Amino acid sequence: MDIQPKMPKSWNAATKPHKFCPGCGHGLILKALGQVIDEMGIQDRVVFGCDIGCSLLAWDFFNVDTVQTHHGRTTPVMVGIKKARPDRIVIAYMGDGGGYAIGSQHLVNAATRDDKITVILVNNTVYAMTGGQMAPTTMPGQKTETTPYGREVEQAGYPMMGPEMVAAITQEGAYVARGSVARFRKLKQYIRKALENQLAMRGFSFVEALSTCPTNWRTNAEKTWEFVEKKMTEQYPLGELKVPVVKEG
Amino acid sequence: MEKAATKKAISIDVHKGKAVFSIFPGLCKGCGLCREKCPEEALSWSEELGVYGTPTVVPDPEKCKACRICEQVCPDCAIAIVRKTGGDKD
Ligand SMILES: Cc1ncc(C[n+]2csc(CCOP(=O)(O)OP(=O)(O)O)c2C)c(N)n1
Ligand code: SF4
Ligand code: SF4
Ligand code: SF4
Ligand SMILES: [Mg+2]
Repeated sequence: MDIQPKMPKSWNAATKPHKFCPGCGHGLILKALGQVIDEMGIQDRVVFGCDIGCSLLAWDFFNVDTVQTHHGRTTPVMVGIKKARPDRIVIAYMGDGGGYAIGSQHLVNAATRDDKITVILVNNTVYAMTGGQMAPTTMPGQKTETTPYGREVEQAGYPMMGPEMVAAITQEGAYVARGSVARFRKLKQYIRKALENQLAMRGFSFVEALSTCPTNWRTNAEKTWEFVEKKMTEQYPLGELKVPVVKEG
Repeated sequence: MEKAATKKAISIDVHKGKAVFSIFPGLCKGCGLCREKCPEEALSWSEELGVYGTPTVVPDPEKCKACRICEQVCPDCAIAIVRKTGGDKD
């Protein structure tokens, strides 16, 4: 029997193994996204945008049209593509540093304008690509390269609650959820609903995905799961924050 | 450009011969996420090295129930479980 890897059809098999580190959650989120693209049969219509940060390692990940832009700018670039080609299904894929700090204005404005795009934002609590510095999502007490004694809120403030913020500033047709790589099926469901919401042109669609970064967390497999499943979900509750009311008929 | 190495599987019968467990050393990065999630504690480190020269994983055929959790949590799609009776859908 000739057994083949069970990669999503939308993945570009020729670029695998992908460029993410061992145990990196980006791989799991993009696996969930790939499976959803396959199940919805939309591969030929998807435009994928990745950001600066480790998300850019996905520039050759899928067999779909792909663009790579700068910190958080992936959002307005995808908005532009959507406006020019409303028949496309656009996905802005970015990190927490790019989406919530360096390019946060773009997220805020696209959400406020109710742009009909899907944003998937990867929360790994650090600026991973540059070596694990504190990000807006670094949790109180969490040690990073730039908070060696742990993030002190008196000095460094509180973490960003992204989906909560997006839910507060969007219109009724928006879809907002927070999933986790530790709840793979749920994460898939949220991503699917976020893409369906764009397809129905109901409103802005946003999924934050809690992810792993064993390289910068300096965690083994056991501690990696523990960090994302316990510590992160205590700070960042999982679930849907906003689901559009679908009118009958 | 297809990388031939990623395609070569090491396969073993598990779950009383009702399923085949395959590991693709060309894809496995030895992260260990799968081992931690296996409810049967069926996975150990293998002599076979993966793409980064780190150990891949091998199941104990007696313990493995072909539940496919390891397949699901692998960020690199390095594990494929095929049930001989079908039913590979998620
Ligand atoms: C304007 C600007 N500032 C800083 C950088 C350096 N930089 C590159 S990647 C990165 C961190 C990205 O972190 P995040 O968005 O969380 O993505 P991750 O790598 O964690 O997935 C930074 C600060 C840059 N490229 N541009
Ligand atoms: S540094 Fe962290 S986020 Fe970046 S590829 Fe490695 S594990 Fe993933
Ligand atoms: S299929 Fe299930 S029981 Fe078998 S090794 Fe994987 S996780 Fe363990
Ligand atoms: S099979 Fe996958 S999850 Fe398991 S060690 Fe290898 S890369 Fe990691
Ligand atoms: Mg980050």
